[in-house]
Amino acid sequence: MRAGLACLALVPALAACEGRQSVLDPAGRDAAVMAELFWWMLGGAVILWLLVNGLMVYVSRLNRDALSVRAATLLVVGGGIVFPTVLLAVLLSYGLSEMPRQLAPGTGLSVRVTGELWWWRMEYLPEGAETPVISANELRLPAGSRSELRLGANEVIHSFWVPALGGKTDMIPGRETRMSLEPLEPGEYRGQCAEFCGDSHALMAFGAVVMEPEAFREWLEHEATDAAPPATEAARAGRAVFLAEGCGSCHTVRGTPADGTIGPDLTHLAGRTTLAAGVLPMTADALKRWIADPRAIKPGARMPGFDHLGDARLDLLAAYLEGLE
Amino acid sequence: MRWVRRHIARLHPRTAVVTLAALAVLGVLGAAAVVGLGLYNVSAHRGHLPGVSWMLATTFENSVRLRAGGDPPPADLRSAEMVALGAGHYATACTPCHAAPGQDRSATVREMKPEPPHIVEAVKGWNAAELHWIVREGVKMTGMPGWPSDRADEVWPVVAFLLEVDAMTAEDYRALTAAPAGADELADADGRGGAFCTVCHNSDGVSDNPRIPRLDILSEEYILRSLLAYRSGARDSGIMEQAMSLVDEAEIAGLAAYFARNTPEGDGAALTETAARGRDLAYAADPAADVPACRACHGPWPEPRNALFPSLAGQYAPYLRQQLRLWRDEQRGGGPAAELMRQASRELTDEDIAALAAYYAALAPAKEPSDAQARPGDGADDP
Repeated sequence: MRAGLACLALVPALAACEGRQSVLDPAGRDAAVMAELFWWMLGGAVILWLLVNGLMVYVSRLNRDALSVRAATLLVVGGGIVFPTVLLAVLLSYGLSEMPRQLAPGTGLSVRVTGELWWWRMEYLPEGAETPVISANELRLPAGSRSELRLGANEVIHSFWVPALGGKTDMIPGRETRMSLEPLEPGEYRGQCAEFCGDSHALMAFGAVVMEPEAFREWLEHEATDAAPPATEAARAGRAVFLAEGCGSCHTVRGTPADGTIGPDLTHLAGRTTLAAGVLPMTADALKRWIADPRAIKPGARMPGFDHLGDARLDLLAAYLEGLE
Repeated sequence: MRWVRRHIARLHPRTAVVTLAALAVLGVLGAAAVVGLGLYNVSAHRGHLPGVSWMLATTFENSVRLRAGGDPPPADLRSAEMVALGAGHYATACTPCHAAPGQDRSATVREMKPEPPHIVEAVKGWNAAELHWIVREGVKMTGMPGWPSDRADEVWPVVAFLLEVDAMTAEDYRALTAAPAGADELADADGRGGAFCTVCHNSDGVSDNPRIPRLDILSEEYILRSLLAYRSGARDSGIMEQAMSLVDEAEIAGLAAYFARNTPEGDGAALTETAARGRDLAYAADPAADVPACRACHGPWPEPRNALFPSLAGQYAPYLRQQLRLWRDEQRGGGPAAELMRQASRELTDEDIAALAAYYAALAPAKEPSDAQARPGDGADDP
């Protein structure tokens, strides 16, 4: 009994109920519509459930006499045909009326999101921009305006979903799908791949940060700049390790010769809230663990392990990456 | 016969079972006595019983003919480069038993049972596929060993040599397998040493055979690591594992220093259309290609690189193609960073491999490849 109570007490701590990734805790217009719809439907379902069970108790316990033919016909036609038809028609037309908004074009910012194995390529195109600002594994959006998302995928199907901000949309290799989001409340939320995509599907998440429009503009301006030169002795040595050990084969750090595009852009890595697509905290220790053996953390990841570098060089590398804000 | 039939007819079933069981026990005891008491004479002076030699030889021939032919021969099987590479390996690995054109087998070898035939005799009656099978698999109970690595590709040069050996004079063979002048410092007093390395790699490390890598563009650290990987078997190659088993461990560092001592010379070539595509791959200029930028490890790269990443500038294209195929097909090992290359080569197509080999072969030979040739997008030498 006590164990049962303890389990019950843990329920609110379950990830899905946490506000950052919850449909029930909307922080955007699209999610709010969905949450509202959910509560209306839940309320309606409860009323229907009570009604049906009440009728059941009435005919089996309270009034066991046969109904008149007229009353029975009224009940069957009214409760079985007219009522559900009207109710479902109302729900459908309300639902359909909300759909165009989710596909509405954005009012400025457009973000191209590409699902990779198992991370997210993010390319920001502010209104009028020709070349995108490239980032990864974190979606930042300005509050109060509608931003467009152009979704694609490499190799396998993924699905884009930030429950606190809106519905989900599949990401399909070779074609572009689109949706738009209108976040309202600044804060940190969490997105998750919602279509099984292989070994590390469950480990393919990302931070979604909604910012005040002014703060967002500043952030995007900073994101577009080259990486700052390393500030400490360790970071300088770490930069040399980064450039000597082939990291630039797959990763870009703008402002250095490293211009690989197979893996996530690392120019402002340390400015993100998470490491390895929502799996690890952005700390030096986590960076080191990840670089030494990515597949121990994310099975099947394409990044090979660098444990052959040894502790000392991994420390330097972590010091460098930690400074890429 | 009637007597036998009558007795069998009268035989009680239980008597039959008991008799058979007794015979079986006697048989096992007899076999145990032969093995346990050493009754069989294994002397090589005594040949097989009559008919046994014929049976073994016929089994061998039919077994080879049944199994040969699994690996298609390369298109350039009969090329002079293949023959030369095969001859170099033959000289270190096979001559002790099979001798060579113009040489006799030693008196001791001729006393082996079965006697290893002189190479000119040994190749008679076999086609290329069958020779490949025999060299790769070896022959049980004859002393003929199997190839000391899993790779099928590097057996072909030996086959190329074996297809020519019949017509070879002693001079031909010596020209193929003599160490060039200038490698004396590698020979040591007991006749081991690394002088034989120069048969294939030349005394300046620059082979004139494009199937044999040039070593002058490599760093001493990389050559040392590679030689140790061959010696331990971490890098799979029957030819190089054999070579590295012939030198003393203490000599390996000296060999690495010797072959890395020269500064490479020579000019690059203009990039062909294929090579220009290889350059785009090496620079990861086309993001859709899904191939990591080779240059971050192998150059041209503007920052200092780890010396354990080999320079490829000016390396021979056939050798590069072969190694890239081995990487992609997961048959290539190496040092502790081998996993990087295994991952990097996974998505390469045969066309990518040809393009990359053409690009790096066209660069001016250098330990540190220079960026002098136009980068992708410069358009300077785009055809």
